[in-house]
Amino acid sequence: MRLMSSPWFAVCRGEACLALIALAATAAAATRPHYGGTLRVEIRQSFETPDPPTAGYGMPDLARAFAIASWEAGRRAVYAADENASGGRPFLDAVEIEMARPLRDQSIDLELGKADVVELGPSELRRQPAGRKVWASAPVRLMALVFSTRVEDARIREAMALAVDRAAIHNVLLQRQGEVSAALLPQWLSGYAFLFPTAADAARARTLVVGLPAAARAISLGVEDAAARPIAERIALNARDAGLSVSVAAQAAGADARLVEVRIGSSDPALALAGIAASMGLPEPPRAGSPEALYAAERALLEGFRVIPLFHLPDVYGVNPRVKGRPGITPLGEWRFENLWVEGGRP
Amino acid sequence: MIAAVKRWHAILCALLFFIPSGARAAEDLNGAAHSLARQTAAFAGPGQPVSVEYRNVSSLGAAELGQARSAFEAALKEAGLRVSDVAPVAELRLTLSENQSQYLLVEEARKGDERQVWMAAWTRAAPVAAALPGVALDRRLVWEQEEQILDVAFPAPGMLVLSPSKVTLYTRQNGAWEPRQAVPLAPGKLWPRDLRGRLRVTGASFQAFLPGMACGGAVEPSLSIDCRAGDEPWVLESGSRATMLANFAVTRNHFDGRVATGTGLQKTIAPFYSAASAGEQNRPLWLLALVDGRTQIFDAWLEPVGAIASWGSDIAGTEASCGGGSQVLATRPGDTGEPDAIQAFAIVNRAALPLTAPVEFAGPVTALWPSSATSALAVARDPLTGRYAAYVITVVCGL
Repeated sequence: MRLMSSPWFAVCRGEACLALIALAATAAAATRPHYGGTLRVEIRQSFETPDPPTAGYGMPDLARAFAIASWEAGRRAVYAADENASGGRPFLDAVEIEMARPLRDQSIDLELGKADVVELGPSELRRQPAGRKVWASAPVRLMALVFSTRVEDARIREAMALAVDRAAIHNVLLQRQGEVSAALLPQWLSGYAFLFPTAADAARARTLVVGLPAAARAISLGVEDAAARPIAERIALNARDAGLSVSVAAQAAGADARLVEVRIGSSDPALALAGIAASMGLPEPPRAGSPEALYAAERALLEGFRVIPLFHLPDVYGVNPRVKGRPGITPLGEWRFENLWVEGGRP
Repeated sequence: MIAAVKRWHAILCALLFFIPSGARAAEDLNGAAHSLARQTAAFAGPGQPVSVEYRNVSSLGAAELGQARSAFEAALKEAGLRVSDVAPVAELRLTLSENQSQYLLVEEARKGDERQVWMAAWTRAAPVAAALPGVALDRRLVWEQEEQILDVAFPAPGMLVLSPSKVTLYTRQNGAWEPRQAVPLAPGKLWPRDLRGRLRVTGASFQAFLPGMACGGAVEPSLSIDCRAGDEPWVLESGSRATMLANFAVTRNHFDGRVATGTGLQKTIAPFYSAASAGEQNRPLWLLALVDGRTQIFDAWLEPVGAIASWGSDIAGTEASCGGGSQVLATRPGDTGEPDAIQAFAIVNRAALPLTAPVEFAGPVTALWPSSATSALAVARDPLTGRYAAYVITVVCGL
């Protein structure tokens, strides 16, 4: 169709015409960005709010260069390019987001070319064809166990910390995505996360709780994200080996412990630590000016095992080959779609 | 293990908060090693044997770990300690680590039940770009800066650098370019995201073409510039003779297709990013890198006569005496995060014939404009540092 409308179609005859069509079909992407086109994005999260989210990561990041054009709560959002965006109008005309898409469906849509950017969980990442374009942030999501104040006996909490076989969960359930960690801050941000030991020690965990009554050793573990439930189940299994009785519940409210995910909100390690502490209801750490001081502050937060860090996980996206430009996410996982363009989008 | 360190942890915390925050900042690896060795000596006691285990969890290589080992052990010796695995008083583990902005030497020391952790950090230096192999095209770095470089030109007294925010005149002093004067640019509206701009020098006067803005100026007696908003066509040159006037799409990064050649021919063709002229058996041709990714070959009447599919979006024409007398320098197709290259081609039978090996760049070429009859000005962005570097790429005959 493009050839038909081009001014030089008139000179296209016979074999020469076929040659030109072939050239058009195989035309490589140019280095310089193209304007136009719509980026089709799918996410698992559903925002059931009257207005689009303005705080957090992901969709709210679009406000830098796009304006909401259509909002169907929990289903679909369309953002249009802001002609007056700082740094210039985005190359894309629009970003269309489909919400509440299960990871498996997202992966299929990417495969079928129905989506341009989809989230990839560990299982989906494993199934991607060789050469698939993937964006991955630094490990910015901290997965941790957080105990409620009801669990007063520190031996229970410490036993749980020792019981969890992080390496097995990381290898099998997380498909080695991200990093095993017993630190709040990831290694890439602090440089010292390796100082917090991660090895499981079921024998030692058992010695901590062996004398406690059965009722004290019974813990309910709440996990609201269905995708994280297999991890919670595995933690319960580990805990049983250590003499604890853990029951997994879909409701986090009222549970003795919760399996939570907290996002690293800053590339400044001191600010990031303060953010994590606030999210988990921990005391505000003192402002640290050196790696040593930060380490001391982090150790102090973890003292008492109210929070047990387990993993640091990246945001991973599968990307349609027609999407061009610098990675559309920052190391912190923020969306930077204003610098992307799509092949097929024409001025 | 966490429980085991609790006892000394309180002491450590108390101790740490009395240490000035800069106390652990070292200049380099050697400084860091010395800083830790001094603390180890105070911890282990003078003349005592200590054992040391090393590991590397950073992106640094075995050579740096070896350097850390040598520096640390020399510093321990200097501090009066002996390194020995026989009955050590203290067991040390030294880890070479890193975070986003610093390298760290982390020392874990154990003496009986007592444990200590110290860290010394030093700033990560910006990565050094890898050296590039020799090329058939001559590439000469002329300027480098943080802000995007749109074009660089060489009027009689020096060098003009066009950036999104200003035009700067540099003059040579003691063999180095020194800024002499800068004039800010004040666009009437926001620049497009992929901003492009072009300088055209005639003696001591110059023109600067920017989207929706045309400027005229002079470098003598001092740098002056007069800009006005408007839709004036940009003057595109190729080699020493061919000239084309082309309208730039004000809010985009390409020409809108309205062109006029030096022969007076006016026409509207497909939108394009860049243009070059080439001769084929004494017949002039224009090549335009179209927005759809192809480079279209046009005859002197701007009728399409062929296409090239394998070039990037920036091309420039030169007229060195070799290679058929005219060459087209072209970037490589690819994504903006990828390494780029510039290669010289001759146009033979309306096909591109490579004349030289490609000149490789670590990041994308963000501008390529004719600079003289035999050279072009290329700007590349370093993907690691984000800095922009301007090069004069000259077609040298006889290599």
